[in-house]
Amino acid sequence: MQTNQETPEKSGAAIPREYLTFTLGAEEYGIDILKVQEIRGYDAVTRIANAPEFLKGVINLRGVIVPIVDMRIKFHLGTPHYDEFTVVIIMNVLNRVIGMVVDGVSDVVALEPEQIRPAPELGSALDTRYLTGLGTVNDQMLILMDIEKLMGSDEMQLMDSAA
Amino acid sequence: MTASQDHNTAIDVGRFNGVFFEECTEHLADMERILVALDPENPDGEELNALFRAAHSIKGGAGIFGFTDLTVVTHELESLLDRVRGNEIRLAAAMIDLFLEARDAIAMQLAGHRDGTPVDQAVISDICRRLRDQIEGNTAPLAEFSSPAADPDFCSPSSAGGTGSRRLEIVFTPDNDIFQRGVRLENLFNELAQLGELSVKADLPNTPPFETFDPEVCHARWLFTLDTTADEEEIREIFEFVAEREQLTITTKEEHETAPPAAPASQTGDLSGDTAAEPAASLLGRRAYDRDETATGAFGRRGPEAAESSIRVGVTKVDQLINQVGELVITQSMLAQMAAVLDPVLFENIHRGLLQLERNTRDLQQSVMSIRLVPISIVLSRFPRLVRDLAAKLGKQVELRTVGEATELDKGLIEKISDPLTHLVRNCLDHGLESPEARMAAGKGPVGTITLRASQVGGRIVIDVLDDGAGLNREKILRKAAERGIPASDAMTDDEVWQLIFAPGFSTAETVTDISGRGVGMDVVMRNVQALSGRVQISSEPGAGTRVTISLPLTLAILDGLSVAVGGEKFIIPLNAIIESLQPRPEEIKTINGKNVVHVRGEYLPLLPLHALFNLETSVTKAEEGIVVLVDVEGEKAALLVDSLLDEHQVVIKSLEANYRKVEGTSGATILGDGRVALILDVHALLQMKKGIKQATLM
Repeated sequence: MQTNQETPEKSGAAIPREYLTFTLGAEEYGIDILKVQEIRGYDAVTRIANAPEFLKGVINLRGVIVPIVDMRIKFHLGTPHYDEFTVVIIMNVLNRVIGMVVDGVSDVVALEPEQIRPAPELGSALDTRYLTGLGTVNDQMLILMDIEKLMGSDEMQLMDSAA
Repeated sequence: MTASQDHNTAIDVGRFNGVFFEECTEHLADMERILVALDPENPDGEELNALFRAAHSIKGGAGIFGFTDLTVVTHELESLLDRVRGNEIRLAAAMIDLFLEARDAIAMQLAGHRDGTPVDQAVISDICRRLRDQIEGNTAPLAEFSSPAADPDFCSPSSAGGTGSRRLEIVFTPDNDIFQRGVRLENLFNELAQLGELSVKADLPNTPPFETFDPEVCHARWLFTLDTTADEEEIREIFEFVAEREQLTITTKEEHETAPPAAPASQTGDLSGDTAAEPAASLLGRRAYDRDETATGAFGRRGPEAAESSIRVGVTKVDQLINQVGELVITQSMLAQMAAVLDPVLFENIHRGLLQLERNTRDLQQSVMSIRLVPISIVLSRFPRLVRDLAAKLGKQVELRTVGEATELDKGLIEKISDPLTHLVRNCLDHGLESPEARMAAGKGPVGTITLRASQVGGRIVIDVLDDGAGLNREKILRKAAERGIPASDAMTDDEVWQLIFAPGFSTAETVTDISGRGVGMDVVMRNVQALSGRVQISSEPGAGTRVTISLPLTLAILDGLSVAVGGEKFIIPLNAIIESLQPRPEEIKTINGKNVVHVRGEYLPLLPLHALFNLETSVTKAEEGIVVLVDVEGEKAALLVDSLLDEHQVVIKSLEANYRKVEGTSGATILGDGRVALILDVHALLQMKKGIKQATLM
């Protein structure tokens, strides 16, 4: 985990970072590919009582119990419907395994650090705190998420507040 | 090149540091156990040897791993122990205390290396000085205590000292095929060395020329010189399986022969003879110790526990194994579910195979679970020292008895139960047992007894902490509770009064001591035990003593549960909380203050609809349409309303917190046969949820 995070930063500008891009509503987002464990279809979840609406529940991922959050509900993007095309990105963040429901996974793109611009305020449905910047690929804007910061935030209610 | 090699070596040694720390910890625990049990008047020679071995092993290991500061205290300790062992210095009760302090100093140094905790150098040097004082101050005057017949020039161990000692010369001429038969000669040498002081020489009277030399054919014979009290038969017994009677010649030399024994008839010690003698020589080298290389028994027979061969495995590896077996069990039950729809006649083979698989996986699971089980003696063994020290500090006379030390429980539980047990034992000593005078006045013997008893009862482990002290004082507890603002009344039953001592901030000690009395003891005990899904019960008889009973689940990893359905979701209710399940008749449902209760066998139990607690949609909202499961936690009963009962199974407990957070009213989750996740209900927490508001005001 720790090394995953540090190696690209330490090795400097020479090596571009790779991002997994996905769509939420009409917007295109990207997260660090090194955080992604796998991509899978949406299975039936076990609901958790008294949890926020965007927390769909937990699933059994080969013996590991993984919480599933629906970003479309969380950020009011697109209409949440679940069918065989619904995609869950399973991520490894903060030493945890967390699943994230998105509208669709598009591509993996490499971005040079100079291709990334700081995100302006109120640029997207996500708070600027959780963005690392905006990237441009083929004249299309890519919103780069700081997925660790987002998943670790109180807003997501994924962690025990004591922890 | 060399630099990188050095680097590699450094890493390699570093990797073994953990092993060294672990071994040291065990050696220190051994030392403590022996020291506490040691009788200063009449010490057991074997025990003294074991002590010496422990100190020596720590010193040796510390030297190898470069923890030179550790060798300082151990060296002094070892020197003194060696003199005690050799009857040069007589053991005194004060010396045992000093040994214990030295042990603690070593433990402190060890912790310094391992955890980076501060080491008080003043204590270390003080201990070293006092150990040295013992050696120097005692050697001369105490010489008279050693056996008069013993040779004053060398430290003679008790077993070999005394008047019966003779010098024997043994010539052993083995068969040529002794190596091929797989006889380990060094074991023989070891056994001989235990009888007394041994020197070994190999003799090669008729070695064939080098071209025809077969290393598997034995041409050597061995000459032993042994100072021993043992008789000829004992020596012959050692050789019983390797030598015929005529292959062994034993001759007795004079008792005080000082000159080296004359070489026997055949020529000895040519060049090849020296090389052949090497196994024996290196063997002696291994026994060597810097001051007294000839001391026997230093590496004598190990205790019985060492005979059980074992390997050291990291707990994470075992946990991984348990998880994987858990997965296998789930996969197996998934297969069983899928196959259930198949025609039993057409697919007979599949059904038979699956049945076999089920048996095998169950067996495998049990075996793997048993790896994590360790005997409770690991925890109990630390109490003799604690009791000894505290009893001395409090001026009380205490005998500690432990029963059922072989009872096994989960390693994770063992670690977490030791603190609560320590609290309980301290409480027994401080509050429970009376002073010797008070005991005499009450017509009891001056020595109080604390008993730690562990046993397995069904699926639980029960640990009793009993004392034969004064018992709990009902009036005092009630008065104290009133002072501390803990709700209490004279109308309470004894059991309810005893429960008061588990309230936070409660303490009846007249004075606050450093042993107990800060009022953090019993509520911590309660909380820790509850965190392990355990229970604490207390019973007391005035004048006769107090018994605290801790009951724990056998393991934290597996649970027997009943799966129930509530509005499309499944939940697991722990079987040990369930009394019975029934479908109530409409007239059995009553309402009190707008809350529903169920009237079962004369009792009114609060009704907790699970669908309401967990915000689930279900068609079953009336109790008479569903099933109520009656549960009992710590004497508190309730009725849980569910849609239907599904099945009873053993489930592997998974943590929700690993990737998510704690979910109120649940103690974890599990994976069912169909691969879905089901939450395991924490019945106790459910009852608290229900009472939420009432509880909040109480706290």
